[in-house]
Amino acid sequence: MKILVPIKQVGVLDEDFEIRDDGRDVDLDYLDFELNEWDDYSWEEALRLQEEFGDAVEIVPLAVGPEEAEEGLRKCLAKGGERGIRVWDDAMQGSDPMAVARVIAKVAEREQADMVFAGALASDHGFAQTGVSVAAQLGWSQVAVVSKLDYQPGDNSVKVNRELEGGLEEVLSVQTPAVLTIQLGINEPRYASLRGIKQAKAKPVEELSHGDLGLSDEDVGEAGSASRVRRMYLPEKGQAELIEGTPAEQAERLVEIINELKGVA
Amino acid sequence: MARDPKHDILFEPIDIGPKTLRNRFYQVPHCIGAGSDKPGFQAAHRSMKAEGGWSGINTEYLSIHPESDDTHRLSARLWDEGDVRNLRAMTDYIHKYDALAGVEMWYGGSHAPCMESRCTPRGPSQYASEFETMTYCKEMDLDDIEMVQGYYVDAARRARDAGFDIVYVYGAHSYLPLQFLSPYYNKRTDKYGGSLENRARFWIETLEKVKKAVGDECAIATRFAVDTLIADAGVEVEEDGLKFVELADPFVDVWDVNVGDIAEWGEDAGPSRFYRQGHQIPWQKYIKQVSKKPVLGVGRFTDPEKMAEVIRAGHLDIIGAARPSIADPFLPQKIDEGRADDIRTCIGCNVCISRWEIGGPPMICTQNATSGEEYRRGWHPEKFPKAGSDDSFLVVGSGPSGSECARVLMERGYTVHLVDDGDKIGGHINDVASLPGLGEWGYHRDYREVQLGKLVKKNKESQIALGASRLGVDDCLEYGADKIIIASGAQWNTDGTNALTHDPIQGIDASLPTHLTPEQVFAGDKPIGKKVMILNCDPYFMAPSLAQKLHEAGHEVTIATGVGLGHYMHFTLEAPNMHRMLHEFGIEVIGDVWASQAEANRIQLYPIFGDGYRREYRGPGKLPRRENTHFDWHEFDSLVLVTGRHSDCELFNGLKARKDEWAGNDVKGVYVIGDAWAPKLMADATFDGHRLAREIEGSDPQHPEPYIREVAVWGTPHMPGGKFEIEYES
Repeated sequence: MKILVPIKQVGVLDEDFEIRDDGRDVDLDYLDFELNEWDDYSWEEALRLQEEFGDAVEIVPLAVGPEEAEEGLRKCLAKGGERGIRVWDDAMQGSDPMAVARVIAKVAEREQADMVFAGALASDHGFAQTGVSVAAQLGWSQVAVVSKLDYQPGDNSVKVNRELEGGLEEVLSVQTPAVLTIQLGINEPRYASLRGIKQAKAKPVEELSHGDLGLSDEDVGEAGSASRVRRMYLPEKGQAELIEGTPAEQAERLVEIINELKGVA
Repeated sequence: MARDPKHDILFEPIDIGPKTLRNRFYQVPHCIGAGSDKPGFQAAHRSMKAEGGWSGINTEYLSIHPESDDTHRLSARLWDEGDVRNLRAMTDYIHKYDALAGVEMWYGGSHAPCMESRCTPRGPSQYASEFETMTYCKEMDLDDIEMVQGYYVDAARRARDAGFDIVYVYGAHSYLPLQFLSPYYNKRTDKYGGSLENRARFWIETLEKVKKAVGDECAIATRFAVDTLIADAGVEVEEDGLKFVELADPFVDVWDVNVGDIAEWGEDAGPSRFYRQGHQIPWQKYIKQVSKKPVLGVGRFTDPEKMAEVIRAGHLDIIGAARPSIADPFLPQKIDEGRADDIRTCIGCNVCISRWEIGGPPMICTQNATSGEEYRRGWHPEKFPKAGSDDSFLVVGSGPSGSECARVLMERGYTVHLVDDGDKIGGHINDVASLPGLGEWGYHRDYREVQLGKLVKKNKESQIALGASRLGVDDCLEYGADKIIIASGAQWNTDGTNALTHDPIQGIDASLPTHLTPEQVFAGDKPIGKKVMILNCDPYFMAPSLAQKLHEAGHEVTIATGVGLGHYMHFTLEAPNMHRMLHEFGIEVIGDVWASQAEANRIQLYPIFGDGYRREYRGPGKLPRRENTHFDWHEFDSLVLVTGRHSDCELFNGLKARKDEWAGNDVKGVYVIGDAWAPKLMADATFDGHRLAREIEGSDPQHPEPYIREVAVWGTPHMPGGKFEIEYES
């Protein structure tokens, strides 16, 4: 029984940032990278199953991303798991969720995974598509936004809860193999210990290219993507104005503004 | 980041007489426990602020003559050449940073007990000090007046010779010039008493003489309590206050104005419990209406927005600060660099002041553990030595000591895991800051929370684990840290154990539904009845604060206390208004009693001086006094136990007990800090954490390394060329 857990190092904006020259993303210089919050929960869910059932369950974190993605894998491995996988090469630059899902699906096949636990979404781009696209690629069943999970190794189905509108709770049984996208709050993610962090440094992280997975250049990157970012920009700010000066001057400016808005000459 | 243009006004230079302040940040005179006797402490503490961007920095009050000797409290002195030599260090160091140095020339009158000099102080009339109630002054005749004015002039010349740029004639806090001005003290009928002009004469003549002597080289300042807060029995700002400013204005280069007197000077150095930022503005703002000179004043200004606002509004020209400059000597620089979130904001606890009130031990600060340690330990508040090893640290507990220790270790470049089962950094501060009036104490937590948040981003292997499960001994040993620091705090006693009997009290048990520790009051899980009895044996704020909290929640509160209620709050200047408040709330205080036993809904109290006053030996097993026979039962719905605290040191003791397993787990050392070591002031807990982080590479980091002591040296006379040998008159 093997669970593959795709994770992402998401970009976190500095207080001040600039858009890249091509106007399609934030300039990398203004980004810090950290593990996507949802992935903390999906990895914790995998860790719990692994702890409960021991050797019957293998859990493997997978990152589709450049070198800095390894930090996220090490962060997961500091808490448990014995090895990780990172897939990247230059051709994969510009991959949208569909293209990334194609890569994850290939790894799931190669690993002969029984389940994929993905975060419900990534906090930077917020598509919430990668996980469900993996299921589509693999032809597996899938459940999105899972808030509770009940599974015994060997079972051919998994019982999950989903939170619906109005506080409703839906309970589903779903056939395995399956892709589950995990919601925040499903568990309380543990912290890594210093020993875990030290040990994680020695754990193997297999590095693969799209070619290693039998994918062609047309399958990845912008070529393999169904969508393309056209522009990223900051919308114009609203018409706020800080009124300064003495109380009398402030009152005068306030009257001016009111008159302007009312259209009084 | 760059400075916010809104704060530009704080960085405009301003002329004061012959000198120029390069910006509007000014450290008013305030005590630190250095005086002229600890020149290294004085020079390092004051020049740290010059480095941090303050443009004017003063000594504490500076005695001009042995007749103004404040021993047991510690003032600076400028009595002779020996003092000039020692204070020269301060001016030399301050001048390196393009800042001005000032002295506050002080003559105390009846408020100076002269315990060392054994002089008789002089005053406008004869009275006993309301502050030093054993001390009377001699009513001055005209010769006396001229002599004492001469003392100011001589001291001013010595100040100039020592390199000072600003010379004060100190008339706030009820010292001599104000004693002449205020009818509360001045009962004279000659030309120095009666009318305002007459009462102002001594002060104005003194200013004139000092200005004539040193005014070309030094700015002449005066510190003036513009309202003594006793209505027309003293000085009122819109009456004598403004008239005096008009009369004295020609002889003053800069006004330093505040309110109040010496006996209740917490009305000036207002604790955050009672006073917000800028609390003196309603009085201070009048001065600029009549003065042509720059006006400065304090008000625990910590927020650049407020500072800019009071200058823009024309209330003050210069921001005076004592406590905010102690909590963060680099406050001006941080505002200049647009780093307001890095400011260590003064919490207004007044623990700095408590040291002077106690009588002059070196000042400490709750927020800034390096304050007072600049010279003797070589600690800089913003600079840290680089990590001396690759050791990693587990710090258990994020209260005052743990969060400070983790912060400093991270500043030094160490990998640190800070673990706390609470959801928020701060440990018990989170409870304390929820008490009425103590919200600003939360700045202690906030500063560390912000800094730790920044530091943990710089080292991805460091971690702040909040809401974590409580670590046990095995967890710590197996954690993988090279060094483990336990900062697990303290708890209130559940069985009545106290400082008077050192034993539990029969029947007291916080597991009963009607008996509560302060932690249980904060947690809010146990219902509290209408009638509350607080049993107190703690000398600080917990009992009065809980009384206020419970009164405000609608309970009828009585306090039974075996020690002076809020005794330490005398030193923090919180006591007078605390007592007024308890009185106003109708909270009954039963003093000088202790408890012999308790039941679910009643407690038996006895007078602590109820036993016999005659002492005689009566044999083994027998008290040497007649036993107390007076006991009273008091009923309550809920009993709150402020009887004492104990360290939560189970984890540390457990780790020590398994020392033989440390090496096998690659653990090099285990240390305990803060309340977990022994319950103490928040300032001292913070210090513990800071010190351990700085001295962690030492041979025995648990225990402090020696520091530089500044003491009189045998064979070295105080007066240059003076004598030191033992010689008797014959």
